[in-house]
Order: sequence, then C-alpha cells, then structure tokens
Amino acid sequence: MIKQRIASLGKSTLDTFESLGRATIFLCQASIGIPGKEGFHLWLRQMHFIGVMSLAIVLVSGLFIGMVLGLQGYTILVDFGAEDALGQMVSLSLLRELAPVVAALLFAGRAGSALTAEIGLMKATEQLSSMEMIGVDPLRRVVAPRLWAGFVSLPLLTIGFSVVGIWGGYLVGVDWLGVNEGSYWSNMQASVSFIDDVGNGLLKALVFALVVTWIAVFQGYDLVPTSEGISRATTRTVVYSSLAVLGLDFVLTTLMFGEL
Amino acid sequence: MMNDSQFVEVENLYFSRGDKEIFRGVDMHIPRGKITAIMGPSGSGKTTLLKLIGGQLYPDTGRVQIDGLDVHRLKRRELFRLRRRMGMLFQSGALFSDLSVFENVAFPMRVHTDLPEAMIRDVVLMKLEAVGLRGARNLMPAELSGGMLRRVALARAIALDPELILYDEPFVGQDPISMGVLVELIKKVNQALGLTAVIVSHDIKETMSIADYVYVLSDGKVMAHGTPANLNVDRDARVSQFMHGEPDGPVPFHYPAPDYYSDILNEGARP
Repeated sequence: MIKQRIASLGKSTLDTFESLGRATIFLCQASIGIPGKEGFHLWLRQMHFIGVMSLAIVLVSGLFIGMVLGLQGYTILVDFGAEDALGQMVSLSLLRELAPVVAALLFAGRAGSALTAEIGLMKATEQLSSMEMIGVDPLRRVVAPRLWAGFVSLPLLTIGFSVVGIWGGYLVGVDWLGVNEGSYWSNMQASVSFIDDVGNGLLKALVFALVVTWIAVFQGYDLVPTSEGISRATTRTVVYSSLAVLGLDFVLTTLMFGEL
Repeated sequence: MMNDSQFVEVENLYFSRGDKEIFRGVDMHIPRGKITAIMGPSGSGKTTLLKLIGGQLYPDTGRVQIDGLDVHRLKRRELFRLRRRMGMLFQSGALFSDLSVFENVAFPMRVHTDLPEAMIRDVVLMKLEAVGLRGARNLMPAELSGGMLRRVALARAIALDPELILYDEPFVGQDPISMGVLVELIKKVNQALGLTAVIVSHDIKETMSIADYVYVLSDGKVMAHGTPANLNVDRDARVSQFMHGEPDGPVPFHYPAPDYYSDILNEGARP
C-alpha cells in the first residue's frame, strides 16, 4: 500500500519533469528560425486574432479598474487630506502591478484558451498530422506565428490597459469627486519613473506574455486528441497560466521593487 | 540488401504503445509503381504502420527505408524534405478547415514551390477535375460530404505528384457510389502517375479489386502475403476466415475476458 503510494508519487514527479522537458524542447523548436514573408503574414493574421480581438475586453476592464482605483484611493486619501496624491497612487498601482497582472489574466482567459482549443482541434482532426505529411512543420507554420503574436500583443495590451486605467481614475477622481486636475497630473509626472515603473511593468508584461502563450500553445499541441482531452487542456491553460502569472508576479516584484 | 524494385522496405519492426505490443517483427517489401494493400482486422495496427512509414512515430527496434533512406535516422529537416515526395490520404480527409477547397489543394504548391499564381490555378483545377470536384472549389470543408472530403484530400495528396502515396482506410464509411468512385480514382491515379501506393484497409472486396500485392496483418505480425488471387485460395484457417469474412474462427470474436459463467455469477465480486 505504502509502496504503491511512493511509486505513484515517483511516477507523477517523473511525468511532470518529462512534460516540462517536452515543453522546453517544444518552445525552442517553435521559436527558432527567421520567418520569411509568408511567416510575417501568418504572424499578422494571428496578431489580429490574438491581439486586436482581445482589445475590447482589456480596455473595458482597464477603464473599470482605473475608476475603482480612483474611487477607493480617494476615500482613503481624503481622510489624510492627501487626495492630491491620487494621480500618483492610480498610476503607480496600474503601471507596476495591476496592468501587467490583470491584462495577463484576461489574456489567458480570452486568447490563451482559444489558442489551446484551436490547436487541439487541429490535432484531433489530424490537420497537424496531414500538414506534417505534406512536408510542412506545424511547429513553424501553426505554433510559431501564434507564439510570437502572443509575445508581442500582450505588452501592447498592457500599455493600453494602463492608459485607459489612468484615464478612468481621472474621470472618477477629477471630474466626479473634484480632485484638483493640476495636482492629479503633476504628482503623477513627479513620481513615476520611466525606467523603474513603466519599464519594469513592461518587463513583467513580456515575461507574462511568454509564459501564458507558451502554456497555451503547448497544452494545445500536447493534449490527448479527444473531446475530453481538449476540454481538460483548455481548463489547464487557464489554471496554469493564472497561477504562473500570479506566482511570477511575486518573484518579479521582489526582484524589481523589493529593495525600496 | 536494398532491391531496386522495392520502394519501401520494412525490416523487423517492433512497436509498442504503453504495455501493449502492436508490432512484433514485421517485414514488408513494397514494390515500386504497384498498389500494395495492407489488410487486417480493426485494431491490428494498420494506421500505426502508415504513421511509422511516414516517420510520425518511432519504432522500438527495426527500420523503415524509403527509396534507400532510413526514415527514422533522418534529421527533422531531411525528414520533411522526404515527405514532400509522399502523399497521405487520411481517414478523415484532414482538410484544413480554415481554407477553401481550392486553397487546400493549392497549399502544398504554395509552401513548396515558387510557381506563379496562374500556374497554381491551372494545376489545382486539373487535380480537382481529376476527382470530379472542379465545381466545388469555392466551398469550405465544412460544406462537403464525407465522400467529397476524401476526394478533395486525394486531390491535395497528389498535388505535388508524389512518388509514394499512403491511403488510410480510403473506403470506410462511404456509400456504394462514392466507394466505387474512390476505387476507380485510386486505380486511375496509380496508372496515370505511375506512383507507388500503399492502401491500408479492411474492405476486402474493394481492396482486392485494385491491389497488386497484399499483406495481411494479425497479432503484430504479417500473417500472410501474396497476390490477391493466391490469398483467395489460401487454405490457412486464419487467412480464409479474414478473406471470407467469417465472424468467428481462429481470430476470436470476443475481446479476452474471464469465463462467462463465473463472470455473470460475479464470483470474486468484480465490478
């Protein structure tokens, strides 16, 4: 009985490492090689599906998060008579934390799950096999454009999220609650550093982009080609990406801002 | 020894999936320019064999040579180059669902050649005409019936005029008319292009009518091989059971199970 448990623990550990290894080889094979003109068109098409189509959900969420920040920040800061610092609070929380993390979570739900299901269904209907037999490497033709499109589009979406969020904070704080407009913007300008805040926020977004897209395409490519397998892999994409984003966020925050 | 008249050589092939042994020493010689059929009951690993020949799966031991090249020793890039000389017709057709019929057939040419658009159009229309679906070129795969899907897939498989074509269960699930059409097409394609064909199937009548040579697989081994005429009069009980479609015989109808009587009485309280 105990022996069985130990054996199954060992087996699941080995399986985990094996699949991590496969995922790494997969990432290397898919991302190397300079895409030609054809590859650029495929990438552009995926930028549309992955990036442009995620724009609406990311921007609307950014607006609401900015508005909530404005409202919550105001009610706290006004007790100390410090409502002038609202701009600083809204912009720093968005640039450093909320924009990269929330945009990545939304991206995992909106684009990541779609990537897994799409590639998984291509596998289940033998489209990937038939592509291989035509002599076209599906890693280059199907996976690489999606990987690169995700890698590029999430940082851009994160920038959009921050911009709209800061505007949302302005709408609530300045237009509605009457914070001085000049101090909202000038406090923001004085306290936000381009390298430390904007730059580090974007670096986070790049890391999240790589991790979320990688998980999504690998789960699609590696799944068991049945309807149950596709549904499980889609769920796994969202769960693993969300956990990875939140865990990595803590690690990155410690490295970037831990010594403040 | 590589014989010049053999296009594909399968030597002492072993393959297992998990604990299940699928092949235990398969040898096959597939002659150049002929139609070779691989037959056997469902679950005898026929499709797996095609995937091993196409280099999509790797054997435990043994080797597959195509035109003198060891498929499983090739580098990834060389393997993909070899595959340009092959076509494969999948059971489901496996058309790209985001491309129209025309674009599906044009796909191999677009990725492997620099032909001008006008010439691609001509070749695609020729291939579609050959399978009788020139008029369906603007349809999407979702709008086609099963028989039409397979004919479009055939047009795509022969788009680059391959030297070897692998058919995976081309007749399964076809109505009698499209079955007849496919049989004719496979024969015609082979005669017109002089290519080497491998058909995996368990539709005896249709396959026997076009095959030049037949291998029968059972229990992970080649059970019998010969020309269709020879196999039809083979007196081996297992071969004749398969060839004449008898439900029970040396090849059992039942999946291995414990004794029926004690199972019903649930002795030993199995679920």
